[in-house]
Amino acid sequence: MSVASVPFSFSRLSLIAGNTFLEAVRQKLFNFLLLLAVGLVASAQFFREFNFGSSELKFISDFGFGALIFFGSALTIATTAQLFFSEIENRTALTLLAKPLWRAEFVFGKFLGVFAVIGVFCALTIGLMMALLWHREGQLMNIRPEDFANGRLIAYGDLLVVGVLQWLKFGVLAAIVLLIASFSNTNLFTVVTGFFVLVICHLQYLARDAWGNVDNAVLGLVVRALGFIFPNFQLFNLADQIGQGSGLSPVVALQVAGYAVAYIGVIGGLAVYSFRNREI
Amino acid sequence: MVALGLLAAGVALRPLEAPAWAVIRAGQPALRLESLKDALGQGVTVGLLGGFRAIVADLFWIRTNSIWEGNDLPGTQTSIKLVTAIDPRPLYFWLNGSRMIAYDMPNWRIDKAGGYDAVPEAVKRRFDEEQSAVAIRYLDNALEFHPNDPLLILEIANVHLNRLKDVETAARFYLQASRLPDAPFYAARIHAELLRKLGRNAEAYAFLKQLHPGLPAEDIGAQSDVVLGRIRELEDELSIPEAARFQPGSASRAAPTAP
Repeated sequence: MSVASVPFSFSRLSLIAGNTFLEAVRQKLFNFLLLLAVGLVASAQFFREFNFGSSELKFISDFGFGALIFFGSALTIATTAQLFFSEIENRTALTLLAKPLWRAEFVFGKFLGVFAVIGVFCALTIGLMMALLWHREGQLMNIRPEDFANGRLIAYGDLLVVGVLQWLKFGVLAAIVLLIASFSNTNLFTVVTGFFVLVICHLQYLARDAWGNVDNAVLGLVVRALGFIFPNFQLFNLADQIGQGSGLSPVVALQVAGYAVAYIGVIGGLAVYSFRNREI
Repeated sequence: MVALGLLAAGVALRPLEAPAWAVIRAGQPALRLESLKDALGQGVTVGLLGGFRAIVADLFWIRTNSIWEGNDLPGTQTSIKLVTAIDPRPLYFWLNGSRMIAYDMPNWRIDKAGGYDAVPEAVKRRFDEEQSAVAIRYLDNALEFHPNDPLLILEIANVHLNRLKDVETAARFYLQASRLPDAPFYAARIHAELLRKLGRNAEAYAFLKQLHPGLPAEDIGAQSDVVLGRIRELEDELSIPEAARFQPGSASRAAPTAP
């Protein structure tokens, strides 16, 4: 039976996603990075002495998001590449794709499995950070009640929204890594390129700022095109908005979420297109 | 094909991204190219991009202090600027960095030039002026990230007063700081004292008379008794007749205006 003769199936997709998720959580890498991130967030209160500039609670929040973003990015890139290439290297991809299975089901199944794993990572890290902040804020309320005359200072709802947006950013990153993996021959190449793309996506706004100042028209066009080709990951750095003015704008959060979901769809689609042209 | 797809997606999603990016950019100091360029040599780029700005800046601040202990002027100056380039949010870095530049560095330069006894007064003055100019430029840069922050304006006023001995300009900056929201009460008191120092007692008297009614009696920082005492001193110095003397509670509660 050929692929064309069977309709796209969400149950096959979810089977692949479930299997990918189980495979990922059994990996030592996931457990190791999760342990490191959780350990770092938990130890934030011991780094309070390093806090020179901002308030103690802001420092813990910055530290927590730092751990989430740093280890989350490493986990997303490494896990996505490893899970994709393990199917190729173990020849299980051959067995799977010999059956009536759409390549889109395979690619998006892999994506959803990785996305779920990253979701668990984000939930644990953000949950721990919020618990720490809640605990420490409670202690500070007892020590300096005059600073908390209007109740708690931290907008926990905003923290949660920023955590969800970071998760979506990791989703875009996972889709990019899958796109690279769809034409790459080795795991190492995929991981290294994935890290480079991560840096580019974080810095592409500088290219956009610079393109207007480039005298050479051709070079200016190239710089401008680069600003369009790579997603803007600085857009997800909303942690600084928390506690400023009226806090995190729901409209901005929705725009950023929509941006991420649209990119996941587009890049995932391109990964499917690229994978369909690949000889396994 | 893939690149074209990404380009098309980037163009199509720009209307969704642009308004959000404008809001986010306005609300936070973004990483700047020069900070990353400086940080590349320190191997912290991944940390910065990863979100560890606060801790990276704190660690560099500790390093700044160890360089400062060695009286290394170019090293300290570079390190101070690197810290605020990495994380421009905390005022602490800006204020203490400017103090190192304006107050410590002239002394290091004098020491290096042969010591206080050997260096002519004109050269000492030049060192003060040069370092003060660097510190004020640095504080002006801070105001781009913290617009209208009274503590930064006060710091500029302090440099003019303590290093450049320019009482006139310092008085102007103290007045500017005193008018900003959340300004400490002492900014206005210092402004009035500097007016007295300049011999402009009538202006100082008018300023303090406008200031006093707005000072909360229950706030120890407001020092309303001290201000009233100075008003009385000025009345004596200006020979104000008894009938025309200031009566607490009788003046309008408007904020003081520029003399």
